[in-house]
Amino acid sequence: MSNNENNGKQPKNDEPILRIMNLRKTYMQGKIPVRALDGVSFDVKKGEFLSIVGPSGSGKSTLLSMIGLLDKPTEGSVFIDGVEISRAKESEAPKVRREKIGFVFQHFNLLSTLSAMENVDIAMRFTGVPKNKRRERAFELLTRVGLGDRVNHKPSELSGGQQQRVSIARALANNPAIILADEPTGAVDTKTREVIVELLRGLSERGQTIIVVTHDMDVAQRTDRIITMRDGMIASDISSGEKK
Amino acid sequence: MFDLIIRSLTQRKMRTGLTIFGIALGIFAVVVMGGMSEHSNLTFDRSMKLTAEMIRVMPDTSLGGSLDDSKVKEVRRVPGVSDAYGLLMMPLDQENLAMGFGGDMVVGIAPEKQRVALKDTKLTDGRLLVEGDGNRAVIGSSIAREFKLKVGDELEVKSKRLQRATSITHVRNFTVVGILEYTGSFYDSMVTIPLDTAQKFYEQEKKVSVVLAYAEQDADPEDLSKRIELSVDNVKTISPGELRKQVEGQLVIFSLITVSAAVLAALIGGLSVMNTMLMSVSERTKEFGILKALGAERKDILFMTMGEAALMGIIGGIFGIAIGGTLVYYLNDILASKGTALFDITPRLVVVALLFATILGMVCGTYPAYRATRMSPMEALRYE
Repeated sequence: MSNNENNGKQPKNDEPILRIMNLRKTYMQGKIPVRALDGVSFDVKKGEFLSIVGPSGSGKSTLLSMIGLLDKPTEGSVFIDGVEISRAKESEAPKVRREKIGFVFQHFNLLSTLSAMENVDIAMRFTGVPKNKRRERAFELLTRVGLGDRVNHKPSELSGGQQQRVSIARALANNPAIILADEPTGAVDTKTREVIVELLRGLSERGQTIIVVTHDMDVAQRTDRIITMRDGMIASDISSGEKK
Repeated sequence: MFDLIIRSLTQRKMRTGLTIFGIALGIFAVVVMGGMSEHSNLTFDRSMKLTAEMIRVMPDTSLGGSLDDSKVKEVRRVPGVSDAYGLLMMPLDQENLAMGFGGDMVVGIAPEKQRVALKDTKLTDGRLLVEGDGNRAVIGSSIAREFKLKVGDELEVKSKRLQRATSITHVRNFTVVGILEYTGSFYDSMVTIPLDTAQKFYEQEKKVSVVLAYAEQDADPEDLSKRIELSVDNVKTISPGELRKQVEGQLVIFSLITVSAAVLAALIGGLSVMNTMLMSVSERTKEFGILKALGAERKDILFMTMGEAALMGIIGGIFGIAIGGTLVYYLNDILASKGTALFDITPRLVVVALLFATILGMVCGTYPAYRATRMSPMEALRYE
């Protein structure tokens, strides 16, 4: 279906799908400037499963919102597939968000009035996919995350883990270049956490690039690479081969 | 997107219902008031069509009064006048002197002039007045309905005559010999009796209230109107153009009052849409944030919020028109039994009311929609 998805494992090539260059973000807290990001640079290869960890206020969520174009950096650049998205105008941002990024939130952020199927479907509406194709794809994705029998359930009728799986299916709907997951296991129990992490790992093995922001070191340990943030800077960047 | 709009509205049934009710009330006012205004405009238009070429000759006093019969001949002698005849006009109900629009009138006319006066108005039953008809009358459709009269029935007419400080009421029964078709003009509220009978009955011997003059084909009614005024002593004339101007002036004021009241009511309905939409937008801040994170553009959010407002406007408009139309229908029915009508729901009015409701909904939904689109997705997602 997409460049990012294949049925089996595939070798990860060396071309970075995401390049962050000298990213800075300064917020004003009243009259005091607060540096949330201070010169962050790194590359992410296609299909990489990466986690960003660090204490609260270290800048990891800010970094995620810069990559997801939910916020603009004060300085520096973000490139996705070689295109500098940090320079995109406000009017171009929605197109980048729907074509390049898939979001998974801690609290799922599903629309409570819509069914699981419709929650996945809605992500494709803005790209102009015809209704029958949307339904077909939503069903396929929900089946892939193990919710083929729950398509007509509303979020309130689903468990936390199931809701997060709907949210992952939704993030995959438009075949994004990168999935950004902000504390995807933060609101689920340990057992469900395993299911979610396995699901994300499986997607990564199929070539999907995934960046996870997490507090949970158990989750981070299961990713290919861990970037640790401290005071808006990268404190360490360890790949799986280097992990002890 | 339309399904999302419907879902959003049905999700908050009570609030949507109340907002639609607010709009419906406003549009109800537009329909009822507008219907009143349309009715007077239509009555005027139909009346003008029937009497378009007539020049009205009246006594030159501000107090009204009557003209001498001889003035008819004088008017007829003015070059350019093809025909002229006098009418004696009295209110049918002498206790309630409301002549003009809506008021029933007794009109005395020379029987041979009745066909000319009525133009192409047809009879639904019976015949017109003929020479020698004494206490006989041809009645308008509203009179027939009001008094439940058929040809051959008797209509009681009262005249009030002043004698020193008191007044004596005389009563006479007139036999209905003809009933006119519905014209939507003041003809519907007319009881036509022979002029000589009317003059005797109302003790107005040799008097007429007005002389109606017709211009020859090549004569300009406006010029002729002035010429009559100059040629005949102590009369003033109203040309068809002047009459149109006078009545139109009054109608504009009437329309302004009724339409303003209606618009005010509708605006209050519009404010309820704005209130609802503002609440809805603020409640759904996070939802809009999610949609933006999923790639929704400003126009998508704008379409959703304005679509909701417009849809509430349209539904409110349809309800308003339906309720207004039903009320007007029953009111007209009740008023018809009294021989009159007060409202006319024209297609133009329905279209205007529906457009007004839709535009009102959209305009009042614009600001909330603008606020929704202005939200940064980051802030919206953090909103609890």
